[in-house]
Amino acid sequence: MLASIVLSGLAIGSIYALIGVTYNVMYSASRVFSFTAGTLGMVGGILGSLFILRMGLPVWLGFLLALAGGALLGVITEIVAVRPVLKSLDQHLYVLSTLALALMVQQFAAIEWSTEPQPFPRIFDIARGGFDQTFWLPMAACVITIVGLELLYRHTLVGHAFLAIAEDNYAARALGLPERNLRIASFALAGVIGALAGFAGGQLLLAFFANAPLLTFYGFVPVALGGMGNNRGAVAAGLILGLFQQAANFLVGGIFASVAVFTAFIFVLLAFPDGLAGASAQRRV
Amino acid sequence: MSITRRQALKSAAAATVASSFAKPAIAQKSPIQVGYLPALTGPSSSTGVGINRGTQLAIEEINKSGGIDGRQIELITRDTQSDPTKAVNGAAELTRGAKVSVVFGPVNSGESLAVTPLLARTNTPQVHPCWVDSLTDAKKYPMCFRNAPTNQQIGGAANRYVFEVLKRKKVAVISDTTGYGTASVNAYVPMLKQMGAEVVYQGNVDAANPDLKPEILRMQGAGAEAIMPWSVNAGFLSRIINTRSQLNWDVPICGQTTLGSGQTKALLDKPEYWAKVYPNNFRPVCYGEGGKLPDRTNAFLDRLKSAKIDMGDTLLWWIALGWDSPNMIAEAIKAVGPEPEKLVGYLNQLKNFPGVYGDISFTADRHDGYPDQQVVMVEANSLKDGAFNLAPGYGA
Repeated sequence: MLASIVLSGLAIGSIYALIGVTYNVMYSASRVFSFTAGTLGMVGGILGSLFILRMGLPVWLGFLLALAGGALLGVITEIVAVRPVLKSLDQHLYVLSTLALALMVQQFAAIEWSTEPQPFPRIFDIARGGFDQTFWLPMAACVITIVGLELLYRHTLVGHAFLAIAEDNYAARALGLPERNLRIASFALAGVIGALAGFAGGQLLLAFFANAPLLTFYGFVPVALGGMGNNRGAVAAGLILGLFQQAANFLVGGIFASVAVFTAFIFVLLAFPDGLAGASAQRRV
Repeated sequence: MSITRRQALKSAAAATVASSFAKPAIAQKSPIQVGYLPALTGPSSSTGVGINRGTQLAIEEINKSGGIDGRQIELITRDTQSDPTKAVNGAAELTRGAKVSVVFGPVNSGESLAVTPLLARTNTPQVHPCWVDSLTDAKKYPMCFRNAPTNQQIGGAANRYVFEVLKRKKVAVISDTTGYGTASVNAYVPMLKQMGAEVVYQGNVDAANPDLKPEILRMQGAGAEAIMPWSVNAGFLSRIINTRSQLNWDVPICGQTTLGSGQTKALLDKPEYWAKVYPNNFRPVCYGEGGKLPDRTNAFLDRLKSAKIDMGDTLLWWIALGWDSPNMIAEAIKAVGPEPEKLVGYLNQLKNFPGVYGDISFTADRHDGYPDQQVVMVEANSLKDGAFNLAPGYGA
């Protein structure tokens, strides 16, 4: 039982963590919580199945095209749902605009793809086993993403520019950084990460339009627990959420498992309002 | 020229007589309007799409053969989009705008729950194929008729198969958290207990849960000898089948018709996992001994083939039900005309209407027309041309 809890808990937790990172990457660049994060995950799964199973493309090409689709949707999110409301962030209009876009994409997927879950292809042609690719692929995707982001942010000029606009976009703009282009690039990067989450978790979640609200919801929990904008916190919280959810599935089961997860979530937030890894914001008075 | 009062009265009388002769002449040629509320799009549209193929074929055939006493049937269709609100709007349009003689549909229970009271208020006869028990009530909705089984009949057939044919006494009953799923579990568990079965596991699980291993292990630990899932979600059902097979647990899975759908099959890790899975189905559209369909169904298949109707992505019983319903309505209109009261009077005495899907009978007190003995279980992995083999134990 313990092995099952750990295996599927870490797998599903990795998907939640990646969606949490998707939220964070978009948030860092714009101070906007874009609720298209889960939709990007759904799109990654559907595009993977579309390109590889339906269109018969090679796995590597289907994978790259799915990520490109995610990047494109990320850019569209920035142009359509984020940019128009940036000037009135304090009114939180982004909640409406990003949710509306997410809903439109979800309905489009339901109409054009299918309202039923569709199969997702096996990525590697190897026999099924206990530690199957269904479980280790999301974990591997999570590790690669975190290492990749660390390398990008710490060791590249573009990464430093991303950090600069995340830290203070007015100052960054004053220094001559192309803030708008960097924001678009951040949303494209978030789109790639979201699509990667859906693609890597496709064998677990299937290619299903209704995965969007599920991932939007559960992917937000790591962000809230790990601290907004904190990728390491999101990953740790995502993995803990997956493990806790799976343990609850085993120990209490049925609908009570979801109740257990959200009860724990509320108690954690009551104890740590800024999240487990978040620092309380300083406010000048 | 002045007109006297007598002349005016004569003219008026002549006009009245003339109009009373002319009206039936026009009415005889005007089409008979039949309302139709299928779900052709949206999340629950696979049933509606299948039913629609049969319905369109039936209307085409009736009209090609001269209609009903020379009058064509005009099918006025409103796609409910699998949405009860849109179904209500469609029904209002059909009854207040088009003023149809009778309505066929909606074809999904959720939509029918919303539409049936509305049609009852407008005194419009309704024929629908939805399973939720409360949808027919001869006193509450005297103009509503069901030409399909009730949930009680569906669950009863599955329970009898598990308990009496397979002789499994310890049963696990699982559903998703939808209204249909929870209502089914609540209805079927007491029925099983009444039969003498022991329900060792009973649970409602979120259909989006990607890992059902904990639930299946819980069933196994409780000593279940059969799993009975009640859900129309192919993803949920395929996860149950996959997990059972991955655990090498050799228990039968018996339940909802979706267990045998192509969508469920497509989500199985291996095709052989579909063995020992027995969904509900209907005897007249199943292969009996020797792999043969009943003669009436064979003749229907020939019609479908000559009309080039695709059966690869749907189920035969959906098309058959869609074909039977307009034919039953047409027979009633041919016998007594399109007036609502007369139609209802005719249907109240309908006895053994020979449908491809089933023999339908109603009485004034019972508007559930499908016979118990025609609800059966089938072998999921025997799907061929939209039909299945009867499950082991039924005989011919």
